[in-house]
Amino acid sequence: MVGAVYDRGYRPYDGERGGRSAARAALFRASVRRALGLRRPWRQKVTASVLLGIAVVPAIVNVGVAYLTRDTVASDIEFITYREYVGVSNALLVFVALTAPDIMCPDRRQRVLPLLFARPLTGVDYVMAKVGAMFAILFAFSFLPQVVLFVGQMLVSDDGALAYARDNAEVIWQVPIAVGALSIFFAAIGVAIASLTSRRIIAGASIVGLFLVTSILAAALVGPEVASVEGRTGPPATVITEEGGVIVVAPGDDGLVTGEPGFGSSSTDVYFVQNDATPAALLDLLTLPLVLRDLVFLGQVEDTHPMSGLPNGGLYAVAVFAAVLIAAFVTLFVRYDEVER
Amino acid sequence: MPESPPLLRTHGLTKRYPAVTAVDGLDLEIPRGRVGLVGANGAGKTTLFRMMLGLSHPNEGSLEVCGIDVASDPIGARSRLGYMPEHECLPLDQTAADVVATFGELSGLPPRAARQRASDVLDLVGLDEARFRPVGGFSTGMRQRTKLAQAIVADPELVLLDEPTAGLDPMGREEMLALVARLGSLGISVLLATHLLDDVQQVCDHVVMLDGGRLVVAGTTGSLLERTGLLSVDVGTERGPLVERLAAMGLTATASAGLVEVQVQGDDDIDTVRDAVAELGLPLHRMTTRLTSLDEVFLDRAGRA
Repeated sequence: MVGAVYDRGYRPYDGERGGRSAARAALFRASVRRALGLRRPWRQKVTASVLLGIAVVPAIVNVGVAYLTRDTVASDIEFITYREYVGVSNALLVFVALTAPDIMCPDRRQRVLPLLFARPLTGVDYVMAKVGAMFAILFAFSFLPQVVLFVGQMLVSDDGALAYARDNAEVIWQVPIAVGALSIFFAAIGVAIASLTSRRIIAGASIVGLFLVTSILAAALVGPEVASVEGRTGPPATVITEEGGVIVVAPGDDGLVTGEPGFGSSSTDVYFVQNDATPAALLDLLTLPLVLRDLVFLGQVEDTHPMSGLPNGGLYAVAVFAAVLIAAFVTLFVRYDEVER
Repeated sequence: MPESPPLLRTHGLTKRYPAVTAVDGLDLEIPRGRVGLVGANGAGKTTLFRMMLGLSHPNEGSLEVCGIDVASDPIGARSRLGYMPEHECLPLDQTAADVVATFGELSGLPPRAARQRASDVLDLVGLDEARFRPVGGFSTGMRQRTKLAQAIVADPELVLLDEPTAGLDPMGREEMLALVARLGSLGISVLLATHLLDDVQQVCDHVVMLDGGRLVVAGTTGSLLERTGLLSVDVGTERGPLVERLAAMGLTATASAGLVEVQVQGDDDIDTVRDAVAELGLPLHRMTTRLTSLDEVFLDRAGRA
């Protein structure tokens, strides 16, 4: 056959062939590679590497300090708790704003969607693969540092590794749940917003914008901080600054301040000041996942949160969280349903 | 060997958009092989492709792709198809090998097999040297080849090619057509949508002509051309009398540019022309049959329809 000479390399394929689940998994892998910049020029790897660096450094510093101060009085100082470390993942917002548009917009801009949907893949599969990829990366990047922190602390603990693990056993379930809630939240919102435009820069700005706007809006609804220190006794103190639910006051004439200080120094003391408890604070999408985190770690809304003390505040928080997730997924499903028509 | 179902079978297929009926009561049965789907822009070619892929749903009628009812099993139909859209559709920041392998995986191939197949098909389309370069730096011709490669990476039963020669220079066009012709010998059926009848004439053994969403004519390329031929007769300057004579004998003839052109159907008509020339005693310098281009068939049929 003459053709055999020219058709070198080409053979019919009669091997294994997957269906929808294989296609979904393939899109998931492709999106993860895209987000991390794998098999792409180094420029595209920068974002992910920097984020991972930022996320892990506090853990390493914390473990390092614990190691250096072991067997001293200072060894009891914890620079960062597991709960606070979940909050560090807020840096993930920047990562989401850079990466979610990366895995969504080019499909639209470069018109790859028709090619993708010519595969055994539905709109739902597409959404699951994309949100799944974003979630997996966010989860890994927030969870890994926690593992470093835990294992590191275990190894440098004065009381021995096993004792440390036993004393901190509850974080083994708390951390994954809190990190998971945070990751799915950012992933779904980021991907949903990025699906609305083909321009990466617009998507990125919109993601950051949404979080900032809700944050500002919530702050406006909650109202200004109450400029008094509850539970304080003694002569009036001079208010120096008030910022984010924290009020800094100079000590009174007697040099004493009482109440519930946060950090103290010789000249100023810091008090948490409470507004009237209001669920309006839940509009703040930036801190909403942190409320969920506190429910996991503390079993209640944290004291400094404007919603603290509200009856069923935790339930409200979970409801708003779920509503936001549902809204994001509905947006996505509607957005990619049209491709099938 | 059991007879395989036709590539495409439609019954009363209709797709209406708010402003236009893109496909209008189409009844088709397209056999395996290389089939040209011809029509002007807006004839309904791309809409038909989209319905075959289950990306667009018909308002009325049904269609079966490779024996699979698309409405009830769009995923099954898609998994037998490869699709090369007309427009730019490639991720630009990846190498051709990565792009094609990724699409192989998306078609259900295991990752290792997908990479192997990507390498094979890129070799086939002539991009073996360039496969580790980013697609963003490719010329139009190379991108078209990459698009073809991703369409065939999973060894589909049928590949839908939407204007594969669009934007190519003459050389690139010839190469693309040679590739399309070769797909047939590799056991992949081809449905080639184009407005360039030359492309179809060159590589397809069947033709389906659409106009305004309706079927104009369908058949083997050979049969459509045989039935309608154009005979060029060079009889020097005495063209007028021959034209009149042929008209009297029932043939359509026109005098143009030193030649008399006669519409003929079959050998009998050619004999008639020869006899007419002999009877008039004209010098017969040259008589050539020019196979009618499909353009003429199309214009003729579409005009009548």
